[in-house]
Amino acid sequence: MAGPTTDVLALLDATFDAVVIMDDRGRITAFNRSAEEMFGYRAADTLGRNVSMLMTSADRAAHDDYVRRYLAGGEARILGRGRDVRVRHRDGSEFEVFLSVGRVPNTDPAQFVGFLHDTSLRRKALATLERERQVNRLYLDLAQVMLVATNRAGVVQLVNQRALRVLRVNDAQIIDRNWVDSCVAPDDRGIARNAFRALLMSGGDEPQSCEYHVRASDGEDRFITWRGVALRDSNNVANGVMLSGEDITDQRRAENEAHRALERMNNVSRLATMGEMAAGISHELNQPLAAIANYAQACARLLRVPAPDMPEISGALEQISGQALRAGEIIRRIRSLARNEDVRRETQDINELIREVHTLLASDARVHDGRLELDLAPALPHVTVDGVQIQQVLMNLVHNAFEAQGGEAVRAETNGATFEVRIATRPTDAGDVEVSVSDLGPGLAGEVEQRIFEPFFTTKPAGTGLGLAISRSIIKAHDARLGYRANQPRGACFYFVLPAQMESPR
Amino acid sequence: MKDLPQTVFVVDDDDAVRDSLRLLLKSAAIPCEVFASAQEFLSGYDPAQPGCLVLDVRMPGVSGLEMQHELNLRGATLPVIFITGHGDIPMAVEAMQHGAFDFLQKPFRDQELLDRVQRALIRDTENRARLRHTDRIRERLATLSPREREVLDLVTQGKANKMVAGDLGVSQRTVEIHRAHVMQKMEAGSLAELVRMMMAVAPRQ
Repeated sequence: MAGPTTDVLALLDATFDAVVIMDDRGRITAFNRSAEEMFGYRAADTLGRNVSMLMTSADRAAHDDYVRRYLAGGEARILGRGRDVRVRHRDGSEFEVFLSVGRVPNTDPAQFVGFLHDTSLRRKALATLERERQVNRLYLDLAQVMLVATNRAGVVQLVNQRALRVLRVNDAQIIDRNWVDSCVAPDDRGIARNAFRALLMSGGDEPQSCEYHVRASDGEDRFITWRGVALRDSNNVANGVMLSGEDITDQRRAENEAHRALERMNNVSRLATMGEMAAGISHELNQPLAAIANYAQACARLLRVPAPDMPEISGALEQISGQALRAGEIIRRIRSLARNEDVRRETQDINELIREVHTLLASDARVHDGRLELDLAPALPHVTVDGVQIQQVLMNLVHNAFEAQGGEAVRAETNGATFEVRIATRPTDAGDVEVSVSDLGPGLAGEVEQRIFEPFFTTKPAGTGLGLAISRSIIKAHDARLGYRANQPRGACFYFVLPAQMESPR
Repeated sequence: MKDLPQTVFVVDDDDAVRDSLRLLLKSAAIPCEVFASAQEFLSGYDPAQPGCLVLDVRMPGVSGLEMQHELNLRGATLPVIFITGHGDIPMAVEAMQHGAFDFLQKPFRDQELLDRVQRALIRDTENRARLRHTDRIRERLATLSPREREVLDLVTQGKANKMVAGDLGVSQRTVEIHRAHVMQKMEAGSLAELVRMMMAVAPRQ
């Protein structure tokens, strides 16, 4: 029994396929390394044994026949052709291989070489590929973004679940359809086509962005922000695009809503301020009206007697005109507050603005059983401001200050002392004008101080949380900052610094 | 005892309102005194001074309501007329519940105020008369002996002398003598008058 030379054996060991050589009696004469791996035998254990040891019982019986028939000059069943056969592992398990057999040239008696290619490995690879494909599909479908791939003509090749959900269609309704024509909202198709074209012509792999509406099968438009890349073939020619889209309809809607709310906010806050002040204002207005009515009626009575007290009557008439003017002044204040005009900046004296609003603020003080003190530095430089807005900020701050001192707990703490709010003005070192509103309440706790300017943050049961936020934005519009610091000896102090007007006014 | 002259006390922190009220009352020949704050009024007020109060509900410091409370504590019976601005109605209702005499919403007709002031002054006179009456009854009650007081309580419950005698374990004759003393000391002309007196001083339910 002659085996192959060492050189041949080394060669055989290097081949990937299993190689088994047998003699004319079916005895194994060579068994390479791949064969060892495939069948679980060591080569030494196979040499000289019949090759049928590697076969299933069905093939075993037939095999010797095949060989004999061939050697007798009969037909070659397998030589030169190859076929799938089942073989048997050392552990008894069976598996399929692709077997091709040839007669080793110049051998007599004949030797045959069998090449066994493990097709189960190929199947494993195929299965692996399939699994990977499914995983990839899963990735696609798990993605929170819409994924759409089209070919060069814009025909949809692939979509993920998210995209199907947004568009409310199934695969069949979208695959092989033109993306733009069947899915993009009609008004946005121009945008979508241009973006598609730009993507195909783009040189690099940088994703490009665009935004347009898609139309779902039920007719609803969703606003999508897209990022796209061109897909390229092996020659680096763009043959399609991959789009990832995020449905920002709700987000955009919320943004628009927030924007509209912001626009309304200024008016609302004016109205809210007005509402809060209404009781105080009407009381304030009733005072001069009541006085006028009383004086006038007293005059009528005094005139009925034979010798009227003329000095008394004359004094009363003066009072009447004075009180009428007082009422008019209050109404003028209210109107200027209710006025909803564009920003009108004027160079003016901040102290004058504060004194103007003092009447209304005093009524607020009255409502809260408090006192409003003015501490205005003389000869301040003028500032260029929208007077009504600044007054609104002051009203807001003063109102807050009184409310901060008004709680039961605070009253108990301060032992029923009169509640005081102080509006102060002073020149800063830089020559600008600081305006501050301070109170003797409990001040702000640390966490409150952090959040006090946030919109909708409030410590008041019925507060809107807008007052300070709006005040801050008004002050910001004046190139200043509304700040907070603790007041001495206690309480809160809100302040802002207005830039001094360089040129002397008028 | 003759009453002191009645005075309308006006308490309002608003100079113009206060002065106009003074002039209005003066034009109607009603004596008045004006005060700028509750403290100012309370510090000088003698409960013996008859009249009525005209009070602004909203005032800094001691509010109208607090002042009313303070007066109640001092046992002052001065009727209080509140004047309120718009929107103070809930406060006015509270004031009424605490015994305010009346309230007026600003601005008001002079006659509305003057009518209320007149009624308040009449109420004050009645209050004081009633107080004097009950004071006198209490003084007389204090002069009764314990036995006489027992007899009084029983006869005003409607018991005949015979039953009273039985209750107290004394003779009917003795009851008659005590009863005569009671009528004399209480200055009562009849049993009915005696009953009315006892009802006037009876603690209210």
